[in-house]
Amino acid sequence: MADDVKALSSQLAQDPDSLVFLRLGEALRHKGQLDAAYRVAVTGLERHPHLADAHDLYARILADKHDYERAFDEWDMALRIAPAHVGALKGLAFLYFKIGDVQQAAAHLEAAQQAAPDDPGVAQALALARGGATEVERAADPAAEAEPATVQESLAPAAQPLEEARVFAGLEGAEEGLLLLDGSGRVLGGALKDSAGQDVTDAVAAYLAGVSHEAARTAKLLGLGDWSGLAAEGKLGHVHLTSPSADALLLVVRDRAVPMGRLAIIAQRAAAAARRWLEEQG
Amino acid sequence: MTAESPGGGYGRALDLITRVRGVRGAMLVSADDGIVVAEQLMEGIKGPALAALAASLTTRLRRAMEAAGVGVSLFWHLQAEQGALLVVPAVSGILVVAVAEPDVNVGLVRLELLRGAEAVA
Amino acid sequence: MTTRAVEAWTLEPLVKFVKEAGARLVLVMTSAGQVLAQSGFARAVDVMSAAALGAAIMASTEEIARQLNQAPFAALNHQGERHGIFLAGLATGRGRLVALVVYDLDVSSLGLVQLFFEQLAAELQAASPKGSVSKQVLAADFERDLSDSLKTLFGR
Repeated sequence: MADDVKALSSQLAQDPDSLVFLRLGEALRHKGQLDAAYRVAVTGLERHPHLADAHDLYARILADKHDYERAFDEWDMALRIAPAHVGALKGLAFLYFKIGDVQQAAAHLEAAQQAAPDDPGVAQALALARGGATEVERAADPAAEAEPATVQESLAPAAQPLEEARVFAGLEGAEEGLLLLDGSGRVLGGALKDSAGQDVTDAVAAYLAGVSHEAARTAKLLGLGDWSGLAAEGKLGHVHLTSPSADALLLVVRDRAVPMGRLAIIAQRAAAAARRWLEEQG
Repeated sequence: MTAESPGGGYGRALDLITRVRGVRGAMLVSADDGIVVAEQLMEGIKGPALAALAASLTTRLRRAMEAAGVGVSLFWHLQAEQGALLVVPAVSGILVVAVAEPDVNVGLVRLELLRGAEAVA
Repeated sequence: MTTRAVEAWTLEPLVKFVKEAGARLVLVMTSAGQVLAQSGFARAVDVMSAAALGAAIMASTEEIARQLNQAPFAALNHQGERHGIFLAGLATGRGRLVALVVYDLDVSSLGLVQLFFEQLAAELQAASPKGSVSKQVLAADFERDLSDSLKTLFGR
C-alpha cells in the first residue's frame, strides 16, 4: 500500500490535472491517513469541481472524520452532477441510517440498485433494510474499513472498459476517440484520450450522463420530440453524442480537421456497431 | 413572429438569423443566468423555457468538452425528431440561439449565429 | 435530498420542482412564516431561521410596493458567488404562500428556477384544498404551530 501511495503521488506530481488523485485519496483513506487524504481530495476538487467522483471521495473522507453534515452536502452535490452516482446514493443511505431514517435510506438504496443492479453490497444493504440498522449501516457504509471486497468494488469511480476492442472493432479511433456508456455514465467500451495523449475516459464519462439527460429534457420541454444527436464544435476538436439504444450513450471525438458532416457519419457507423454489441450482450 | 429587443444591434443580429428558411425563432440569452436578453420567436415558442434550457445544456456540454480536451464550445446543434436547437456562445457571456425545423440548412444557420455572436460581442 | 411536508398536498409538486430546478434548499411557507414543506434542510433550527428571514423579506418588500402604490413584487433573486436565493409569492386555495429557494450556480440557474417555479405555483394552486385560507396567526399560537410543523418535518 505504501508503494501504491508513493507511485500514485509521483504520478499526480507529474500530471496534477489527472484523475489519479481519486485513487491516491482512496489509498490514503484506507491507510487511515485522513489528513493527507483530505488535502488530496480538496486539491483534486479545486481542479475538478464538477466531477461527481471527486465529491464522492471528499464525502467519504469527511464521513471517516465524522463530519456527517459536510459529507451529506458533498454526496448531495455528487448526485446533482450525476443523479445515478452509486457511491453517493450509498453514502446518503448510510447517513440516513445514522440518523434513524430507514425509509430515506431504503429509498436511496433502491435508487442505487436501479443504477447498479448487480452490486451485491447494495442488494445486501437493501435486504437488511427491515432487519436492523446495525447490519445495514455496515453494508451501506462507504467509509467502512474492513468490508467485503464486493462492497469496495461497488465504490470504484467507474467500471473499467469492458472488451473495448470488440465494441468498435474495425472502426477508426476505437481506442482513443469512441466511448460507449450505460445510462448511469458507466463505461461499457471504447476510450478517450485528449490531444496530449492523456486518458480522459472517466472524466468525460462522469459528465456525459448529465449532458444526455439535459438534451432529452430540452427536446421534450420545447416540443421537439425525442433527441437523436448532439454535435458540437470545440476550439481543438469536435464531438458528436448520440443514443444508440434507450440505455446507452455514444460519444465520438475527433480533431478539428474532421468536418462535422463526416463526424456524423462516423457516429452513425459507431452507433450501429454499438447497437450490435449491445444486442449480443443480451 | 413576436419581437422583444432592447436595442437595434441585437434586433439586427436576430433578424439575420430568423430570415433563414426553416428557422422558427432566435434569441439572445444570458449564459450564466439562463434568462432572455432579446428574442424574435414564432408564436407558441416559450422564450423563458428556451433560454433556461439552452443555457443549462451549454454549461453541461462545456464541462464534458473541457474534460475531453477539445476546448470551449464554439457551436452546438441538438437534433430532435421535430426540430433542432442551434447555439453559438459569444465571448460576451451571451448565447445566440436558434430553434428550427429538423431539415433546416444547418451550415447557413451556423454562419448567421456566428455573425450574431460577433455583433453582440 | 429529503423533502417533507406538513401539509401532504404540497409534497408531490415540491419533489418535482426540486428535481427539475436542481434546487438545493426549498421552503414553502405562509406569509406569516408558518412552514408547510421543506426540502434539503438537515436541521430544524435552519428551517426556523430561514422561514423567519424569508417571511420578513417578503413583508418588507410588500410594504415598499404598497408605499409605491403598486402590486407586490412577484419575485426577488439574490445571486452570490456560489449560490442564488430566489424568493417568490404564489397564490393557492390555502391563501398566499411564499417559496424560498436556494440553488447552486454550478448546477442550476435563475432561468431554470424561474421556469420550474411557474410549474410549481400552478401545481400547488391545483392541488391546494379550496376555501381553506389560513387564519391570522396569533403570537400565542405561532410558537406551538412552528413546533408542530418542525416535528412533522424532522420526525422528532
